Amino acid sequence: MNPDIYQGFMQSTMPTSLIGTAIGSLLGLTVGMIPGMTISAGIIIVLPLTFVLEPAISISLLLGLYAGGMMGGSFSAILLNIPGTPSASATALDGHPMAMRGEAGLALGTSIISSFAGGIFSFACLYFIAPSLAELALQFRAPDLFSLVFFGMTVICSFATKSLIKGLLSATIGLILVTIGQDPIMGNPRFTFGDPNMLSGIHFLTAMIGLFAIPQLMDNLIDIVKRGGSFHADSHFGKIIPSLADFRAMRVPAAIGAVIGTFIGILPGAGGPIAAFISYDYAKKMSDHPDKFGTGTIEGIAAPEAANNAVTGGALIPMMTLGIPGDPVTAILIGALLVHGLAPGPLLFMEQADFAYTIIFSFFWANIFTLIVALSSLRLLVKVLATPKSILLPTIALLCIIGSYSLRNSFFDVYVMFFFGLLGISMQWLRIPVVPLLLALVLGKQLEEHLRVSLTASRGDVTVFFTSPFSVFFLCLSVVSIAWPFISEKRKKRAVAVQALK
Amino acid sequence: MRIKNIGASLFLILFGLLYGFLTTRLPERTLPNTPGPPFVPMILTVFLLVLSGAWFFKSLKLDTDEPVFSEKTEHLFYPAAGLGLFLITVILLPWLGFLVSGILFFAGLMVVSGERRPLWVIAFSIAVPVVLFYLFREGFLILLPPGSLLD
Repeated sequence: MNPDIYQGFMQSTMPTSLIGTAIGSLLGLTVGMIPGMTISAGIIIVLPLTFVLEPAISISLLLGLYAGGMMGGSFSAILLNIPGTPSASATALDGHPMAMRGEAGLALGTSIISSFAGGIFSFACLYFIAPSLAELALQFRAPDLFSLVFFGMTVICSFATKSLIKGLLSATIGLILVTIGQDPIMGNPRFTFGDPNMLSGIHFLTAMIGLFAIPQLMDNLIDIVKRGGSFHADSHFGKIIPSLADFRAMRVPAAIGAVIGTFIGILPGAGGPIAAFISYDYAKKMSDHPDKFGTGTIEGIAAPEAANNAVTGGALIPMMTLGIPGDPVTAILIGALLVHGLAPGPLLFMEQADFAYTIIFSFFWANIFTLIVALSSLRLLVKVLATPKSILLPTIALLCIIGSYSLRNSFFDVYVMFFFGLLGISMQWLRIPVVPLLLALVLGKQLEEHLRVSLTASRGDVTVFFTSPFSVFFLCLSVVSIAWPFISEKRKKRAVAVQALK
Repeated sequence: MRIKNIGASLFLILFGLLYGFLTTRLPERTLPNTPGPPFVPMILTVFLLVLSGAWFFKSLKLDTDEPVFSEKTEHLFYPAAGLGLFLITVILLPWLGFLVSGILFFAGLMVVSGERRPLWVIAFSIAVPVVLFYLFREGFLILLPPGSLLD
């Protein structure tokens, strides 16, 4: 056996790592199921801890939270018809009708088992694909890496947003914010206005806390005014484990969801909600009784739930092999690794292969523990829904302050976090997506570095980006991703015109 | 939607111009044909101006005008109060320290979140910040600020 794989497995099975995974899963299930508390909120809760814990434990904790959060979102979708996370929206379509029929336990059981199946499938893909992709990525030179990062940014602007202009604007603002501080090649200060705090630039974890937590807090305060501060769900919901016939019924849709979810997870920006709805649609098309979808059928739960959990493993593939995060959670994972001096990317598999495998196996344990915790404490977890938001919200707000302060023991980071909170609220108000900005904050420095290194090496000759097949491939993909919204809009208009003619 | 889009795009155009101006004052590299520190900021200036301009003209074409706030004004009072509390806490943090400002912030935010039972507000607003303070300070060795006024 490869010694790195063995070492990685052993590190992931250390008692401290396993405890971290279990706590992460429990926390993820909890925050995932409370409407308005997304996985990002859970991450913010544990973020200060990741700065002081060992890298292996930090990663186990965060991966447990990621897998648990994805699964937890479906609980409130089924019981209350309010998805805990956006990825669980498709689950509510069939989950809630089942709960209304008195089959809430079966719906929850189907969701848990399908999520587990999706997670394990994506783990297998991660285990087999990631090392080979990293090996391929090792051949990339500066122009290829620039084109790859550029592609990652354009695809997220295109697929993760409704308006391409707003998506690109968001990314541009993010890139502008990255230029604050020392320039990555020569170390010259830029836009620091003589303030020594600005020299080290804006830490993207501080920005992330502000961008995600503060607008979410404000949304929750509006929600409290409208709907009240807590939710109540009946915890007597009958049998949870599906019968053999139910297992047979969920087999194909769960497989569809797992494959689609993993594939969509690999694409930066597409994420859980898209994967869940596409899988739901495919499962419906392939079903013998599509008319039953939407009325409360376990196939309608199995497909989206397998898909949204498979997204997690899929999103880890570009994160680990190329250093490109697919969603905010993987962006935070990159940040957590960088704090410990570990840079995700192809070199991770070359220089610290044992740690790369620790991440992969920790993801496996995250799925196992999420299944165990969910099945064993489902009835108790549902009671968490009744926790008053008047306690939860101030706690999260305090943790935002702790998280941003403890990153560098600086008040400056607390001010930066608050500034980004205001920016996040403004962007939400203007319906400008936040994810491209976050991705730009993560990848901006790399983008500039690869661009300037390429141009310096070629003495300013821009054709350097068109001589390597990898670079040309990524640039072509970038063009396609930018053109895609226009093409799909034209197709939609044409379809509407054809229907009007009929 | 139209008014706020036009306003925001104009703001971004002005910001782009300011950023471009600041970029021109950055030090240049002396080696010929190689990009210096202002190279990427200059590209970003062009990008920002083009995109903001496109957004501005697109916003002009919008014929329907939605209200500036999608929520009712009375629904916005509590979030605004919460944000104000956050701002005050962030400003007072270096002087009052985490513990005192945390207790005040927690109590204020509990009230803003709809909690009206005084005993609950007092109990939780003291217990949670104190537990977090000592948990991070003693347990995780993250030295949260004690506050310069209390030193």
